[in-house]
Amino acid sequence: MTRPPVFVVEDYTFWFRTPMGEVAPTALENVSFEIEQGESVLILGQSGSGKSTLALNLVGIYPDYFGGRNQGRILINHPEKGLINRRELQPGERFQLVNMLFQNPEDQIVTLSVEEEVAFALENYLMDPADINPRIDRALDLVGLQGFRERSTLKLSGGEKQRVALAAMLAMEPKVLILDEPTSNLDPVGTSEVLEAIDRVRKRVDITLLVIEHEVDAVFDLVDRVVLVDEKSVHGPYEPRTFLERHGLDVRDHLGLWIPQSVEVALELRKAGTSIPRIPLNGNELVEALAPDGPLATVEAAKHEAVSSAPSSEPVIEVKDLSFSYGEGDVLRGLNLQVYRSELLAIVGQNGSGKSTLAQLFNGILTPTAGQVLVEGKPTTDYKFAHLVKRVAYIFQVPEKQFIRTTVFDEIAHGLRALKLSEEETEARVISFLERLRLLEHRDRSPYILSHGQKRRLSVACMVAAEPDVVVLDEPTFGQDYQQAQRLMQLLRSLANDGAAVVFITHDMRLVAEYADRCAVLSSGEIVFEGNPYRLFSSPEVLSQSKLKAPPIHEFSQRLVGQPMLDAHELTQRLKEVFGAESRTVV
Amino acid sequence: MPNLELSFREASSPFHRMTPSSKLVFVIGVSFVAIFNTNMWVGIGLFVFVLLLAAFATSVPLKTYWSLGKVILPFVIILFVVFPFFYSGQATTGSDIIVIRTPIRDLTWADIGFGSLLAFRFLAIGVSGLIFAFTTHPSDLVQSLSKRGWDYRLVHAPVLGLVLFPALLEMGREISITQRIRDLGQDTNWFKRKWVRLRHLAFAMLVLGLRNGQTQAMALDIRGYGAHKTRTFMRPMINNRAGTIFAWVFFILSVIYLILQWDPMTMQWNMQL
Repeated sequence: MTRPPVFVVEDYTFWFRTPMGEVAPTALENVSFEIEQGESVLILGQSGSGKSTLALNLVGIYPDYFGGRNQGRILINHPEKGLINRRELQPGERFQLVNMLFQNPEDQIVTLSVEEEVAFALENYLMDPADINPRIDRALDLVGLQGFRERSTLKLSGGEKQRVALAAMLAMEPKVLILDEPTSNLDPVGTSEVLEAIDRVRKRVDITLLVIEHEVDAVFDLVDRVVLVDEKSVHGPYEPRTFLERHGLDVRDHLGLWIPQSVEVALELRKAGTSIPRIPLNGNELVEALAPDGPLATVEAAKHEAVSSAPSSEPVIEVKDLSFSYGEGDVLRGLNLQVYRSELLAIVGQNGSGKSTLAQLFNGILTPTAGQVLVEGKPTTDYKFAHLVKRVAYIFQVPEKQFIRTTVFDEIAHGLRALKLSEEETEARVISFLERLRLLEHRDRSPYILSHGQKRRLSVACMVAAEPDVVVLDEPTFGQDYQQAQRLMQLLRSLANDGAAVVFITHDMRLVAEYADRCAVLSSGEIVFEGNPYRLFSSPEVLSQSKLKAPPIHEFSQRLVGQPMLDAHELTQRLKEVFGAESRTVV
Repeated sequence: MPNLELSFREASSPFHRMTPSSKLVFVIGVSFVAIFNTNMWVGIGLFVFVLLLAAFATSVPLKTYWSLGKVILPFVIILFVVFPFFYSGQATTGSDIIVIRTPIRDLTWADIGFGSLLAFRFLAIGVSGLIFAFTTHPSDLVQSLSKRGWDYRLVHAPVLGLVLFPALLEMGREISITQRIRDLGQDTNWFKRKWVRLRHLAFAMLVLGLRNGQTQAMALDIRGYGAHKTRTFMRPMINNRAGTIFAWVFFILSVIYLILQWDPMTMQWNMQL
């Protein structure tokens, strides 16, 4: 039985307001769709495709608060008035019906304790204090934060902060809640906590959830519908399985979006002739479809062992008995680690485990409290800072923090001019970089007005243009879609192939699985594991201690072929070999 | 990053039980006496008094006061060391006769007393301010002031500041590191480099601050901040009669003392000298 719509969007078009007042190109064009009450809907789209703009229009932030022009209608189902044009409701009334959780929990926490944070909106809407207390308890219970009422918001982890922000929204008991990439700033354990909280809310509360999320492996299984935002248009809603069945590979290959690994494998097999009538949304369904009676074949273990081993050359960076403290307690304790040329080393661990601190010790931003960091055999403390940072380039998570010039061209040229290259040579090298990164057409624009993906590529380019020995990146693919992430990682791989050592800090285990040659796992300031990704994801005790999670393919590939595999393409090839050339139908 | 947290400490001390308004009256009383008092012994006594209150009536360890108080210590030491050399002429009065006593052997006990008085003045005000910060729940302060007719958005602003300040500091630190890494202003002299870096820091902080500020404004708006002229408060309002009596008695005694010691001829702010 279909339920009444909670949102009806009719032929809706939206234009941004420009600072100079001229007409900007449309951001959304002739959008029409309906969302039923109580549904969970995944909003998919490339970075910069208009997902957040759509969400902000549904909430009413655009155009009411930040301007812009719109045409068409957005109707909301009001409990008493029925379907009503959003504009006929007062903002306060509207926000109590439709609310939104943003990406970064730091941007939305506005008080100093958890209970005040959850109560904040209720107090603003003049709710009787006697009714507020039970709502706080209910909301905290929903997000799994019972017992956190009195805690200071300043002392929460990223995942806890995001769950507090979610509780603050739930306490208002809205009819619709929009979640804009709620896990993008979180480590694997924080991501799991938030997704579990969303699942609990979905099951226990009569609420419509609209989720914008890149973590597709977990989310596709949670939602009832999928909406695709592409080139200012909105397609759908679709039933998730039907959507993936019809558009899965197109979405991955042409739009450059992540799709679940189980779906990737199933669709590739289907393309090769294996008949899989029902596309599996998760690893369990894939195993049930392909190998219900146990593994189909065993992959030789030697193949995995050969994938990566510590290089035999001299390390370019050597960390010896390193400890570091900001004043109260050690952040890092007795670390030993080597970084080699031509390798991609992933540093992983929970938020607060010391990853960024370690990376900042590599190029002398911080100096060790005890022990040493040697670069090419010489302690970092013996280098001049200006000289060391040219050899060990550090790239921050937020690209804008790295920009110091007014044009894209000058950003890259800055580092080259410091090397005293001639203007001609500088220009030639900058142009070559801009072409490689597909930024040439933006050469005279301000770096601040590029899209997120372009900013990230530029921030990498301006640090690697001077050809450093080591490149250290903090969350290189943060906020990027599949295609952008792939391109960036390919750029890093080519730097490694040219002889640089690439060290990247990440929470994205798919990235580690697909690209890292080695990983170092930090937990509470100590390295608890060093080795290749296969060994890491096959060490449950390390994963549990450092609160990491293997990508889903690691688990379901073991059940399919008897050995864990980390790359969907590799697994697909193996399965194709197993199934042979003749087509086969699986249930 | 080192943690410098100027915020409420949960406890149940006499000061925690006082209303924010009573504590404000107390802090104003301390500040009046500290600023207008000219007797060094009263200055020392006032500092010892607030220090004893901090130690025994706030349930906050003195170590916590020290961790923040040490920030103003260099300023206090400068007052103590430098100002005795200006005593008698009293540079602050705008008098024609400004006596700068050099060398050191010319200093009198009165000169040193003058420096000490200034130092203890800021110590007493500083400690009383910290007592207020450590024992006043921000929500109680907002509630107390908004019930007295202040706009709650205005009085909530300092709370927002406390929440957002650490993130702003971190942003500034990272931009400064970037400037060093990328050697901004490399081809100029020291002064110009400092200027170029300061200008860039201001611009980058403005751009990133505006962007974050926009999200924060949205987060506040969609949670009804400013939707109504007033708001309710979940926390029950503190109402402690003993605390109120203590604060007002202290304030009245302060005023009486200041009236009794009033002598226009010795007051530092007397422009008639």
